[in-house]
Amino acid sequence: MRISTLTMFDQSVSSLHRQQSAFLKVGQQIASGRRVLNPSDDPQAASLALGVSQSLAMTQQYMDARVSARNSLSQEESILNSISGAIASAKTLVVQAANGTLSDADRSSVATELRGILETVLGQANATDGNGRYLFGGYQDSSPPFERNASGAVYHGDTNNRELRIDSSRLMGVADNGVEIFQSVHSSAGYVARADTDNAGSVTFIGPSVIDAGDPDYGNNFEITFAVDGGGNISYSIDGGPDTTYQPGQPITFGGLSLSLEGVPADGDSIAVGPAGEMDPDLFATLQNIIDVLESPAQTASDKARLRNTLNTSMRELDNSLDNVLTVRASVGAKLNELDAVDGVGSNRILNYRQTLSDLVDLDLVEALSEYSLRQVGLQAAQKTFIGLSDLSLFKLI
Amino acid sequence: MSMFSIGLSGLNTAQIALNTTSNNISNVYTPGYNRELAIVEQKNHGGVGVIAVQRQFDYFIASQLNGSTSTLAALDSYYSQVSQIDNLLADQEVGLAPLMQKFFASLQALAATPSDPAARQGVIGAANTLTAQFRSFDSYLRDMQDGINGQIGAEVAQINNRLEQLAELNREIVVAAASQGEAPNSLLDMRDQIVAELSEHLDVRVSIQDGLTYNIALNNGQPLVTGTRAFSLEAMASTADPSRLVVGYNDGAGNRVELNDKVIKGGGLGGLLQFRSETLDKVQNSIGLMAVSLAVGFNDQHQLGIDLNGDFGEPFFAIGSPKVFSATGNAGTAVISAAYDDIAGLTGADYDIRVVDAATGELAITRRDSGETFTGTLDGSGQLAFAGVELTVDDPALLADGDSFQLQPTRLAAAEMDNLIHDTGKIAAAGPGGASGDNRNALALQDLQNAKLVGGRASLNQSYASLVGDVGIRTNIVGVNRAAQAGFTAQLQVAQQSLSGVNLDEEAANLIRYQRYYQANAKTIEVASILLDTILGLRA
Repeated sequence: MRISTLTMFDQSVSSLHRQQSAFLKVGQQIASGRRVLNPSDDPQAASLALGVSQSLAMTQQYMDARVSARNSLSQEESILNSISGAIASAKTLVVQAANGTLSDADRSSVATELRGILETVLGQANATDGNGRYLFGGYQDSSPPFERNASGAVYHGDTNNRELRIDSSRLMGVADNGVEIFQSVHSSAGYVARADTDNAGSVTFIGPSVIDAGDPDYGNNFEITFAVDGGGNISYSIDGGPDTTYQPGQPITFGGLSLSLEGVPADGDSIAVGPAGEMDPDLFATLQNIIDVLESPAQTASDKARLRNTLNTSMRELDNSLDNVLTVRASVGAKLNELDAVDGVGSNRILNYRQTLSDLVDLDLVEALSEYSLRQVGLQAAQKTFIGLSDLSLFKLI
Repeated sequence: MSMFSIGLSGLNTAQIALNTTSNNISNVYTPGYNRELAIVEQKNHGGVGVIAVQRQFDYFIASQLNGSTSTLAALDSYYSQVSQIDNLLADQEVGLAPLMQKFFASLQALAATPSDPAARQGVIGAANTLTAQFRSFDSYLRDMQDGINGQIGAEVAQINNRLEQLAELNREIVVAAASQGEAPNSLLDMRDQIVAELSEHLDVRVSIQDGLTYNIALNNGQPLVTGTRAFSLEAMASTADPSRLVVGYNDGAGNRVELNDKVIKGGGLGGLLQFRSETLDKVQNSIGLMAVSLAVGFNDQHQLGIDLNGDFGEPFFAIGSPKVFSATGNAGTAVISAAYDDIAGLTGADYDIRVVDAATGELAITRRDSGETFTGTLDGSGQLAFAGVELTVDDPALLADGDSFQLQPTRLAAAEMDNLIHDTGKIAAAGPGGASGDNRNALALQDLQNAKLVGGRASLNQSYASLVGDVGIRTNIVGVNRAAQAGFTAQLQVAQQSLSGVNLDEEAANLIRYQRYYQANAKTIEVASILLDTILGLRA
């Protein structure tokens, strides 16, 4: 076949072009470490890689969420620890104050210690995170949730709990609000009895204790009201029911409960009995009640009855409060464990996604380097061919 | 016939052959040059003569090569355009995907610390970057549209230029043939070269009239050159969308007709038009669709939340609106505007709207990419909703039968995408009634990352991944076709060159051959002269 001179040069040059661009491509791949530089290099892999990188980014996002969840929960856990310690100390002090041999002055000094505990707990309740946001106010995180007042503290927060998406299908509460921590009792908390603060008599109570949880009225609230008639006969009625003669030292029973009463009530004195959750549980009010009663002189029989009754009620309330704080702390601990577990899964997933991503778009360096040498040889061969070809001319010989 | 005459005819022939050879050598690299051959013939009464210096040209091979060149030029121009999008989408660091991921990660940080000003600023910063990237994608693609408009103008100018040259060469060739019996090879070479060059811009049909004149026509038969007359093409604003240039045809009667893009096939011009309608419009629409889906979907959720001032959230993103163009030839003067309706209905396609019955407000609507057609009727307030868009006719009484409009729901939407929230307090992270620590709406916004926002079918990332896949596949296919076509064209070039190309070794041999031939004929004359001297010497 007749070959034109132009064809010979054109073909050599286009072979040089081909070899050069293949050489350059491998060079680019090696420099970037990626097999897929442009979507067109492997459209399917490029498109899949976007999906995987989104999954990777989201997994990382959830991991960040877990870091911040862990921060909040760890902080809450340590605060709950110190609060439970404070309640335990308060309980010891109450036991100490219940000792009948203490003088007013002794009690007053116990009250001072309790005041310190109350302030400590209040400080913890108003704790903030590193950004100055209040931890226990629900969504109200810009102002202190608890404010000190004469009856303990008033709550300004709400009953919401902030949640974070710590995994694709898991929203986790990362805070507990003040109501849940300081104004709640565990659902298993029993009954609490509370003598009216205006009681003028010296009636005191022990209990209540549960004797028949199957009683149809069990679980209700009760009000025991005493009446003294003109003849000095003392009777009591429950929730406005029939009058029954009062006999000191004799336990009275109602709604599956038993309450032992001592002392002499005055006309109109009353004792409220109800499930702990419905008796306005409030750690700050409990502590304040104890302080108030310890700081009042206990000279008269009625004063002493008030002291005993208040300490009695408060002890139960402190127990309930401690149980509650420990329960919340346990749930926080469980969440921290869950975070660890999800973290483990998440790190695995991240590794898998990275591997998949790398399989999709990254370069097999060994293969690429051998390709690189091959292309280099090819290019050199094309160059040599060109030189040889351009040297071949009959004109050189004539 | 004397030896002198015979020798002389040989000398003349050798001279012409040497000239032909030197012409071949000197034109070895001249584009469009066809190798020439001196055709010699024995004279009746002895001696030799050159009957023609023939150019070695095969019209069949040449037109095959032109067709192939045309296809290759189209693929070349398509490829060089689509690679630009391929490169745009290749960016791993600042492509849309990582920026969307960063934006949603900033929402996660907001959910973790909803009242933290730094987290809020993070959201605003990520939103600024993301919207800027949407705008930058849009402006890149719009620059490409502008570039294509410019290139269409340049291609059309090149084509017109060559059409005029062809008409002129037709004239010169006819005149030369009339005066000299046949046309000079150089003119014929030049004309074939211009047809070859024309093929690089546009695929044309060539027919030969009287064996002498080339008539050129478009693929649909519309004439471009008939004899000595050239018609011209023109880059004109489309009647349906004045922002884009299309090719117009000036017929002899002074009328300008807009040519359908499909009529222009092959060549750089055909490749450009095909790329624009097949890929560029679609990519622009897809980016716009993602921008609208993100902006409207996000705004809807943001407006359900409560900001730090206790107010409901304001729209977070600004976004463009659907564009409706009235065709330039409309008899009516009604103006149609459009707004986004239910974004789950958006398709990313463009629509042609034609007024079927102006009195009842009946419209025929054609989806441009699939050709699907349906009818709709304007309601009492001159409105009609379809495909995620609500049309509003300013005054239905001004519509006329047959008026047409083009709706581009998302083409230009990304251009106006912007972040409207610059005050950290105005991010609505809280749910209704919530306070500063409330992150319910932040969580809901974060959940949009996986929500089927785009056309109700795909998440933003899925939609982007499918766009990247589409462009990648398109680029890949065009690249493969282009390589195959280049190989095919190269083979045809070899065949064409095999006949018409100059081989220097061959010419070197010819040079020697004709030199010897010349010397031999000179020797003939010398011998004749000696013979004559011998005869004359007898007398003496």
